[in-house]
Amino acid sequence: MILFDFEHESPSSTEAAVARLNEVGEEARFLAGGTDMIPNMRIGIVKPECLISLTSIPYAPPALDAKGWLEIDALTRLSEIEHSKLVGDAAPMLAASAHSVAGNQIRQVATLGGNLCQETRCLYLNQKHDFQFVEPCFKRGGDCCYPFPKNKKNVCWSVYMSDIAPVLVALNAEVSVLGAGGEVRLPIAALFTGDGLRPHTLNPGELIRRIHIPPAPSHFGWGYHKSTVRGGLEFATALMAVALEVRANGLVCSDARIAIGAVNEGPVRLDKTEASMKGLELNPANLRMLADQASQEVNPLPHHGFSKPYLRDNIRVHLKRTLALAVERAGTRMKEDRS
Amino acid sequence: MSKLKYVGQSLKRKDGPDKVSGRAVYTQDVRLPGTLIGRVLRSPHPHARILKIDPSKALALPGVKGVITAKDTIGVKHGFVETPRYPADQDVLAIDKVTHVGEEIAAVAAIDDITAQRALELIEVEYEILPGVFDAETAMQPGAPEIRPTHPKVKEDLVNIAGKTETEWGDVEKGFAEADYIREDRFENQLRTHGYLEPQVTLAHWEGDKLNVWTSSMGTFIKRAKLSRTLGLPYSQVRIHKTYVGGTFGGKIDLYSHEYCAARLSMLTGRPVRITANREEIFSAYRHSQTLTIEIKTGVRKDGTILAQRFRIINNAGAHRGSGVVVIFLAWGFIMGPYRIPNLKYEGYAVYTNHTTRAPQRGHGAPKVRFAVESHLDMIAEHLGIDPITIRLKNARGPWEQLPNNDNTHEAGLIDCIKMVSQKSAFLDKWRQARPPADSKSPLRRGIGIGVTSYMSGTLIYPNGSGVVVKLNDDGSLIVLTGALDVGQGAETVLCQIVAEELAVGMDDIKLITADTDTTPQDIGAWISGMTYVTGNATRQAATHAREKILKVASEEMGVPEEDLGIEDKSVFNLHDPQQRMSYAQVFSASVAKHRGDTIIGEGFWRTMRDEPTHPSLATTKGRWTENYAFSAQVAEVEVDIETGEARLIKAYTVHDCGFPVNPGLIKGQVDGQVSMALGQAFMEEVMTKNGYTLNPNWLDYRMPLIHNMAGSEDFEVITEQYRVGQPYRTKEVGEGLVSGVLAGIANAIYDATGVRLTSAPFTPEKILAGLRKLEREKARELA
Repeated sequence: MILFDFEHESPSSTEAAVARLNEVGEEARFLAGGTDMIPNMRIGIVKPECLISLTSIPYAPPALDAKGWLEIDALTRLSEIEHSKLVGDAAPMLAASAHSVAGNQIRQVATLGGNLCQETRCLYLNQKHDFQFVEPCFKRGGDCCYPFPKNKKNVCWSVYMSDIAPVLVALNAEVSVLGAGGEVRLPIAALFTGDGLRPHTLNPGELIRRIHIPPAPSHFGWGYHKSTVRGGLEFATALMAVALEVRANGLVCSDARIAIGAVNEGPVRLDKTEASMKGLELNPANLRMLADQASQEVNPLPHHGFSKPYLRDNIRVHLKRTLALAVERAGTRMKEDRS
Repeated sequence: MSKLKYVGQSLKRKDGPDKVSGRAVYTQDVRLPGTLIGRVLRSPHPHARILKIDPSKALALPGVKGVITAKDTIGVKHGFVETPRYPADQDVLAIDKVTHVGEEIAAVAAIDDITAQRALELIEVEYEILPGVFDAETAMQPGAPEIRPTHPKVKEDLVNIAGKTETEWGDVEKGFAEADYIREDRFENQLRTHGYLEPQVTLAHWEGDKLNVWTSSMGTFIKRAKLSRTLGLPYSQVRIHKTYVGGTFGGKIDLYSHEYCAARLSMLTGRPVRITANREEIFSAYRHSQTLTIEIKTGVRKDGTILAQRFRIINNAGAHRGSGVVVIFLAWGFIMGPYRIPNLKYEGYAVYTNHTTRAPQRGHGAPKVRFAVESHLDMIAEHLGIDPITIRLKNARGPWEQLPNNDNTHEAGLIDCIKMVSQKSAFLDKWRQARPPADSKSPLRRGIGIGVTSYMSGTLIYPNGSGVVVKLNDDGSLIVLTGALDVGQGAETVLCQIVAEELAVGMDDIKLITADTDTTPQDIGAWISGMTYVTGNATRQAATHAREKILKVASEEMGVPEEDLGIEDKSVFNLHDPQQRMSYAQVFSASVAKHRGDTIIGEGFWRTMRDEPTHPSLATTKGRWTENYAFSAQVAEVEVDIETGEARLIKAYTVHDCGFPVNPGLIKGQVDGQVSMALGQAFMEEVMTKNGYTLNPNWLDYRMPLIHNMAGSEDFEVITEQYRVGQPYRTKEVGEGLVSGVLAGIANAIYDATGVRLTSAPFTPEKILAGLRKLEREKARELA
């Protein structure tokens, strides 16, 4: 139960919503599927006086633009992404990641934009503060950090747990942001600050309008893995998204993007490992070497009871398998291209 | 009459249609006009003195109708155990000091949730913070912060001892001296919660001279007793109504503060008051299960025969005695049941810490004890070069064994259970075959493991016995009055089957009135694994009583001796001339007309160990514990990924001696439910705490297994008892003993698959990986 009063409005266009939020000011928040916002209101880590609901706003189904980019409205429900034939064909990794979110009931209402805009998480933060952890922590505007008491006031090691953001990073996606001054298009990575206190670059009154995903190159392979304890209805222990290209003549990598999620304040690219991959034959021995390197390159925050060494172990093994899957898919795709 | 029609059949649940159609009324569904919302103010500190409570600002808030603190109570304490040795130690609202985070300090009743919340925020409490202690072994040591005084009968130089169980027989030292091999191990367990989906909820309505209460519970009579006493009301002024219950698993037995608060606030305001705990409260302030640390030393002969065992068990009991002194008694029982131990020394300590108070949970310590004992036994067997089946058969108790506490194993089927589960699971074919050949590239390893358990089927603890009334209606249908509460285990169905069998009446012609403290006879409640046995026999007796009356009247009317009469389909017939018959409706009329208005009411009552004066001593284990031991042997097959450390249960086999299965379908449900609880305990569930605060108080971060985590489960019954109409029968426990063998089996199977011996639950990938690394280092050292 939400134990405070608030207003609720339901404008019929994104432009009207942005205008209305700018009018009401900082006490207003956008509400999309509500699967992050409502629990956060219930436990009192956000207390908006006014919710501007986006749920009455019509949105277009996923489509390809003139350049072959896949365009998805930010209000698209995750279940629609999961089941869209177009998304499955053009960006199967995105469909896979949407499918991995929570459970079906949540995916029926949760939106793509909301998933990207979700708050960072921490065991201490994500609970009621009636009698436990009553003093507000840094993230809630207070003066302490429960899990990391030595942290300075400007450091919050909460983790960003979107299952989808790392995929969009690996796919080199772009994002259109609508603000009072109109729409701007940015690389997806520009959405994230890497700061647990304020994980997004969006200003109040700005909202994600749509996502753009470039067409996959011809010798492309992808791999996605969400490590969990029970395989569903949970956020990731660690999450990895791999997009790679191989040269036409074999399994030598020509380009690769690896994004790791759920273990830092935002999705993290593995620049060094990606650089090592380029020009390398992606055989099992090299994949093992790359996964070892990647597990050292990531600097996971201990979160939700998982230790840093375990998270490294988890990423090392699962990234190796995810890379192998991506290579296999690239190979399959190559065969398809030839035939 | 010889062929059983109802009993022994998997008949559909009596409560099924109500539950699946949404007609079932749970406590939250009970609506009374003018109901106020109650909320409880809880301690933000694990250990603190209360210097001052000032509720005046809350009382002044418009919409607030009542506020209570300890000053509004009569100061009567309560506890799970209330005996001369272990008097109650819990206040319904904290007086002077709080001893765990979330302890109840005050409660408010207001017109809505938001007002109630604001009122809580307006209550001013001044605390003096005291040092807390959270680890049981630290809390025992002299110098640790004192939460409550050590029990006066414990003479050791230890603090915070809530209670101790100590017993021995034979000569342990002599046993160890004669042993060919002695081994010592230590096992630990995580804190785990019940996971009942329906939250704790109570609606109370004081009507001037009568307190009506609806509350989610495991038995209404114990609630009435404890509520009446803490309120200072005669039992007759308190009525606990029956509602359906959405899961309990041991977590809703004795009194909870919110139940008292709802009642007291209703008495103060004159209006109904409802208190519904939210999930965070249940996780971080209510009672979870017990965590036991178990140290075992065993001496054996070369052939695996156990000669002597010594146990030291430490229970982190939390802030109050709770069931902490029961679990250290029961742990002894779970140790001595399955295997012969000629020489035993047992010590169990319940230690106060600044954690939340503890409660029983399905198995009440047995899963932890059996995980320890069965792992330890496998380690011994390996050292001796004996397989897990042989060592268990070597030590397993047989039928008619007299136990050191004068209990008897009766028709024990344990040996058959072990043999059958071994055969059904092809144990010895799979055991040690799991590891694939060296050239296999797959990181998956399969393993198989076994665990054995025995469990009590009812014992003596308040309210001890059950009464049942069976009433014949004038159309020949039946009303059954029983205090038994169906908490999902199927009590209503099973009792109905017994009545149907004894009186030859269809299931749909029987209406049960249950668990209402004003209108139904007293009952033991759904929490000591004796309902089918105790309430069931009371029901059988009541039905027999009614049948005797029916046959007597029919005999007179038909002019046929009683022994020549049979019953079927709500009628009595002449066994020699089946055309000659009388319907129950006709019998009823005749009885009323010719037996001075006798409307044919049957009465029955039952109690386990009917000739024992009282329950066994929790401190010394003296006195009989149960007359009815259930036995089981269970096998788990697991699959472990040796690169990731991730493990899962593939299949569980359960073979159990359940006495006589009244409803095999319901038993199967119990087995599957326990397999799922065992795998949750094995792999995923843990209440994480830090300094007495709960870190994961929600369903997202406390991970219960999901439907796709379920493993295949096969179960087989070893039937050691028969049901005969009109005769007492024996059923044995099936509702909580079967978590243990699966948990133990999983631990042994992980070892079989990987060589990693885990001595602490849960069996996380992190622990399995650490074990595998250790093995690699050892191997490298050997090679060097």
